[in-house]
Amino acid sequence: MRLLVQLVEALSVFLVIFYLYCRSPAFRPLKAEWPRPRGKVRLYLVFTAIAVLGNYLGIPVLDGEAIVNTRAVGATLAGLLGGPLLGVLVGATAGVHRVTALTGAAAFPGAVATTLEGLLGGLVHVALRRRPERLMTRRVAFATTFVGEIVHMAIVYFLTRPFGQGAEVVRIIALPMILANPVGAALFMAVLNERQREHDRVAAASSARALKVAERTLGLMARGFGPEVAKELATIVKEETGVGAVGVTDTERVLAWAGIGGDHHAPGGPIMSPFTRQSISGNAVTFADGVHQAYDCRISPECPLNSVIVVPLQIDGAVLGTVQLFEPRDRRFLNMNRTLGEGIGALLSSQLLVTRYQEQKNLLLRAELKLVHAQVNPHFLFNALTTIMAVTRQDPARARELLGHLSNFFRKNLKRSGELSTLKEELEHVGSYLEIEKARFQHRLVVETDVDPSLLEMRLPTFTLQPLIENAIKHGLSAAVGTGTARIRAQRRDGAAVIEIEDDAGAYTERGGGDGLGMKIVDQRIKQLLGPDYGVSVACVPDELTRVTVRLPIEGVRR
Amino acid sequence: MMRALIVDDELHPREELALLLAQTGEFELVGQAENGVEALAVIRRERPEVVFLDVRMPGVSGFDLLSMIDDDVMPQVVFVTAHDEFALRAFDEDAVDYLLKPVSPERLARTVERLKQRSAPSARPAFASAPITRIPCAGKRTIKLVNVSDVEVVKSTLSGVYVVSGQGEYGTELTLQVLEARAGLLRCHKQYLVNAAAVDEVSLGDGSNATIRTRSGHSVPVSRRHLPRVRELLGI
Repeated sequence: MRLLVQLVEALSVFLVIFYLYCRSPAFRPLKAEWPRPRGKVRLYLVFTAIAVLGNYLGIPVLDGEAIVNTRAVGATLAGLLGGPLLGVLVGATAGVHRVTALTGAAAFPGAVATTLEGLLGGLVHVALRRRPERLMTRRVAFATTFVGEIVHMAIVYFLTRPFGQGAEVVRIIALPMILANPVGAALFMAVLNERQREHDRVAAASSARALKVAERTLGLMARGFGPEVAKELATIVKEETGVGAVGVTDTERVLAWAGIGGDHHAPGGPIMSPFTRQSISGNAVTFADGVHQAYDCRISPECPLNSVIVVPLQIDGAVLGTVQLFEPRDRRFLNMNRTLGEGIGALLSSQLLVTRYQEQKNLLLRAELKLVHAQVNPHFLFNALTTIMAVTRQDPARARELLGHLSNFFRKNLKRSGELSTLKEELEHVGSYLEIEKARFQHRLVVETDVDPSLLEMRLPTFTLQPLIENAIKHGLSAAVGTGTARIRAQRRDGAAVIEIEDDAGAYTERGGGDGLGMKIVDQRIKQLLGPDYGVSVACVPDELTRVTVRLPIEGVRR
Repeated sequence: MMRALIVDDELHPREELALLLAQTGEFELVGQAENGVEALAVIRRERPEVVFLDVRMPGVSGFDLLSMIDDDVMPQVVFVTAHDEFALRAFDEDAVDYLLKPVSPERLARTVERLKQRSAPSARPAFASAPITRIPCAGKRTIKLVNVSDVEVVKSTLSGVYVVSGQGEYGTELTLQVLEARAGLLRCHKQYLVNAAAVDEVSLGDGSNATIRTRSGHSVPVSRRHLPRVRELLGI
């Protein structure tokens, strides 16, 4: 009984040491490193130390022939966490230490037993490795060590020479060891688990912050990287990370500053810090933790900031600027800030990349649209001129009128395709076009327009209607021998603004070519501006009607 | 004076061109057609020497029209269009000239010169016509284009040529000769063509004539003169 108490005392010392280790910066979460060789080496060292310490903290009995010890804790836990090989290695190392450093009749059997206990832990690991949440429990640690210690006693009993002495040793050490070791293993596991959970919590909090930053900056970068965006960015990062100060620079100047030191770190000033210059020139994260290396403000000697991480913002390897996280002298720069800073940098860089991609897609769309217009309009122009030449002979006033429509149409066409127009302007543009077409096709073309007046001020991308109506005329009506009717409707429906362009030829076929391209581009531009819920759709009843529907939000496109 | 026809689906360009032609004093205008079907009728009736032909027209394009004209009434062709991209094909079709809209009197004068050179009696143009795959027929207010593969029978009656398909019967301005030569339809009677793919049954009568029944149950007489060839092509 006295031995049990002593052993528990030893175990307590032991646990305190282990607990301190777990709180120290040397501790790394064990779970995450399981599969990697480096993690196994670390586990081996840690648990061998635990097992060897168990030897020294043990209580010698029978004049040092045997030691009541807690070596099994190290070996069994090593097996449980790292598998059979690690368990055996830790057990054998501790066993060899037992035999060579501390002699005694029970030394060799004990060494064999410890090795086997390591193996046992390893086998349990193999059996439960697919369910780590059940492996890393106090219960498993307790049961494995309990069984291991019974085996231990049996080995000591049979292997100790001279033979009779084994029985005596076991009589003395069995009870304390079989009780104390499992309890110790269970407590170790508890400490480990608690530390692990805490580590996870910190990681989760850090990811949550990074995600929050990402969420709030989403769309910010789309406005282009400049002083205004930088100001918002600095504020957001400052609020979400809670660091002392946040700076944003381009490659030459400070663009924005939020937090401590704003009085002298004014936006517009040149970059002074060597850390920032280094970060920009090397496209790398630079770091001063304030202990080994301090941030030394070049602007003001009064500056309270003394630690910093500088993260470059880059697109395709080209640095656009940096984001900097500062802490003042009286606050420790947390490692977490470093990971967080790096994460935010990577995130913002990818947002910049997305922005660049969007811009290029936009450019391409505009270029395509211009191309389509350039291809279509000359024929329209020549046909219109031919008509006007004929009309000039018979009715000069009407010819003047048509020329007015023609110039109006081309003036609107010159408007850059990236701009927005009101529905009213779009209808005027289309109206000029239709006047000419009516003059060309005479009685064969009838246009009916029905527009909800409350939608007239709605904004939509310029050139939304014209290509669609041109398609309707070109492929629908002018291809019909008799009269063709085009209907243009704009109304509110199901909370959206719906513009329908309908012809009664029903000649739409889903093939490539110029007309399909024009419609596709109109659709893409709307989707790009307003999302996938809006855009162009086509319904066709062959030989009866083709209806092109443009769906837009009631409020139109907001600037 | 050359007898001319203007084919264009738009009124004003027709009027404008008619005026320009009149100003040259070289043409006698025999008509104006606003689509291919009308044009075919006028060409058969009036036999113009030259056709001023728009390319883009509803239903039947200018090129389609060329492949539908009987060889013996084939006029000289001048294309008149706002599109310059058809020019190569136009000359491939042996057109005399290719005018871009709007047409100027100076340019038209050169066309007249070319026409005069070509109008030597020997030079009837031989258009390398594409096979006809769709037959234009007069619909209510549209030109109905009937796919040749849907056609079962074509018959020539006093009131005109009719294309019979599973869906119905449509009048067309194309002649049996053109359809036989360019649409791959089989002549079985002086007044009938049949689509070999649509033949369902051939009943041989007494003597040397026969009757063909098509998929949709239309009966077509086979005359003595055409029976050997029909038998040969149908493999009976």
